Amino acid sequence: MSGLTQYSNSAESTESTVGSKLTCQAACAKSWEVLDGGTRYVFHLRDDIFWSDGKKLTAKDFEYAWQRLIDPVTGAAYAHFLYDVTNAREINQGQIKDLNQLGAKALDDLTFEVRLNKPAAYFIYLTAGPTTYPLRKDIVDAHPGRWTEPSNIVTNGAFKLDSWQHEYKIDLVANDKFFLGRPKIDKIKMFMIPEQSTAFSLYQNDQLDFIDNRSFTTSDIEQCKKDPNFKTQALLRAQYLGLNTKKAPLDDVRVRKAFSMAIDKSIFPKILRRQETPMSSWVPPVLIGYEPDSGLKFDPVQARKLLAEAGYPDGKNFPKTEVLYVSREDTKLGLEAIQAELKKNLGVRIELVNQEFKVYLTTRKMHPPQVIRASWSADFPDTDNFMNVFTSESGNNYTGFKNKEYDKCVEDARGELDSVKRANLYSRADKLLCKENAVLIPLYMATQCVLYKPWVHGIDVNALDIQNYRTAYLEGSN
Amino acid sequence: MLLRVILKRMLAMIPLLLVIATLTFMVIRVVPGGPFDQERNLPPQILANLNAKYHLDKPVLEQYWLYLGRLCHGDLGVSYKYVDRTVVDIIKDAFPVSIQLGGAGLLIAILVGVPLGTIAALRRGTHIDHLAMFVSTMGLSLPLFVVGALLILIFAIWGRILPAALWESPFHAILPAVTIAFKPMAYIARLTRASVLEILQKDWVRIARSKGLSESATIIKHVLRNALIPVVTLLGPVSAVMIAGSFVVEIIYAIPGMGRFFVTAVMNRDYDLIMGITLIFSVVLVITNTIVDVLYMILDPRISYE
Repeated sequence: MSGLTQYSNSAESTESTVGSKLTCQAACAKSWEVLDGGTRYVFHLRDDIFWSDGKKLTAKDFEYAWQRLIDPVTGAAYAHFLYDVTNAREINQGQIKDLNQLGAKALDDLTFEVRLNKPAAYFIYLTAGPTTYPLRKDIVDAHPGRWTEPSNIVTNGAFKLDSWQHEYKIDLVANDKFFLGRPKIDKIKMFMIPEQSTAFSLYQNDQLDFIDNRSFTTSDIEQCKKDPNFKTQALLRAQYLGLNTKKAPLDDVRVRKAFSMAIDKSIFPKILRRQETPMSSWVPPVLIGYEPDSGLKFDPVQARKLLAEAGYPDGKNFPKTEVLYVSREDTKLGLEAIQAELKKNLGVRIELVNQEFKVYLTTRKMHPPQVIRASWSADFPDTDNFMNVFTSESGNNYTGFKNKEYDKCVEDARGELDSVKRANLYSRADKLLCKENAVLIPLYMATQCVLYKPWVHGIDVNALDIQNYRTAYLEGSN
Repeated sequence: MLLRVILKRMLAMIPLLLVIATLTFMVIRVVPGGPFDQERNLPPQILANLNAKYHLDKPVLEQYWLYLGRLCHGDLGVSYKYVDRTVVDIIKDAFPVSIQLGGAGLLIAILVGVPLGTIAALRRGTHIDHLAMFVSTMGLSLPLFVVGALLILIFAIWGRILPAALWESPFHAILPAVTIAFKPMAYIARLTRASVLEILQKDWVRIARSKGLSESATIIKHVLRNALIPVVTLLGPVSAVMIAGSFVVEIIYAIPGMGRFFVTAVMNRDYDLIMGITLIFSVVLVITNTIVDVLYMILDPRISYE
């Protein structure tokens, strides 16, 4: 499928660059204007885009898709993505019943206008994601609850859905009429394989041409790395420890800082072996507002001093402290290393509590423990997506941290169109979070590792873990 | 008489299913976590919209009555995880896969297990007996995932003669069917051996032999027919478990069957899907047990369920 815009390719080949910046470029919209101080966007659509059933794509298809997303009856989990759009929140929360009141309108067949409540610097990124892709009202209405089936669905992307065996396989075929040019590959078979070792065996057996992180275990990784066709892409996926500021002993900022400074983050790429980037700030290195000094650096001497000041010299009499995590191989390996670091550098022994995913989510929400191990994947490549997690009102902030200055920085930065001012606001917020209050301990940024057969070329994997097969091609023997 | 037994069993299934449905309904709601809990919390209003869409905003008792009402009309509900997919859709896709895999496994288990056990009994104490019992002990003690991994390694990665996984052709079914057959095959072999040994001591076998009946006719007509009764008993629950889908085998070989959906449904707290699969599993269990009872009556006319 294609949206109004699309992310730039990180590279025109499988040799994707680490930490590359993502920008939005034209797709269904050939151009767009940002008007009225950033509160009005006008998208001008190409007039040569056709759906897979031959019908022409119009701005009405975007208007309908956006209205459907916001309609409370749809129950869309990502409806809040559009809450910046005029009346979106009110419609989704049932205060306004008329969907036509949404600030997203087709002005004519080729012009789509979006009005925002106030400027949102990241807004353009939302138009590149699947949440805002166009939809055909006639198709959705004609096949209620069945419009996504291969026999019913119509699409406008580089590939068409040929068949779909749920939870097993998706077959895609090239769309000859794709407006950006027919892809070079005729057909793609994608299998959903739950077991990592099975996928790896299939790859070894030449039954699969391309696999990623989900298909090899940490113990397979050394073997994979020997393959010349092994590549790594840094992702906007941050791993962190959230510290509960309301529960002893972590209600003392000195203890939180001591924990943060006692963990040598450089151990993670050595243990997990997927070229992870160690982090000390919450803003990822490639995004606006990143400053290397925003977080606390590894300093075991200072950490020990802080812990002594807090009343626990050499970790003596330190209360029982639990870290809650979801059972996963890499998470467990990382946490065991953290446990060893804290023991070595502070004399503190933490307990690792492992829970099944949904039980973990419930515990985290109902009875947040002293420390949680969590991760955050970006929905779009903007700092707002990360900083929002720790605002006072955020439903994802389990640390108990509420800070007016932080909230204001994040709120002001959302609408700030001057990039220097915006960067300063985020950098200040980052310092409040990671340095002055040490609410969380950023650990590392995860990576996507891919392994492909010598005859596969040109698959693009970006920092949001979106895999683009449009530029892929086969060359050489198999 | 057979018909009456079958009819009675089918009628008895109705209250049984009601009890199972009630227990499952309550138990899955006691387990922490709901279908829409995810790594990132949904804003309260979005969660409310989702709960309203699936009637999860109503009191549990009302949800239960609603569910039973739908169930009476043959509506098993919708999946909360796989948007726009009904439970019937999912079962319609997954059940035939599990039946094929389980059926093939069962066939292998019987066709290998019964002769293996019989030969071991007839050649008691010889190398053949020891080898047969070694194989069946291996089958009983090795976990399925180890058997699966070994078979993949030997026949797919080293030998390159069979596919490592997936469900694309009958060829793809060989390794998973052998894997799923391994344990029941071992059970059947051991049980057949013990049973055949016991029957061989019976008077009627001695008489058959003294009449001058050939060895093969004695074994087939007089020994096996009687020796297989305990094996048939085993087949009821074994075939139900195999046909209803093996989670481990379906995961190892990436097969889209019932076992895989059942476990992912539990992990996703996909309430209606858990209910649907549990009920189907119960029906399969009752049906296979009824078949076993009918087979019993055919094999041994002394047995009666009246």
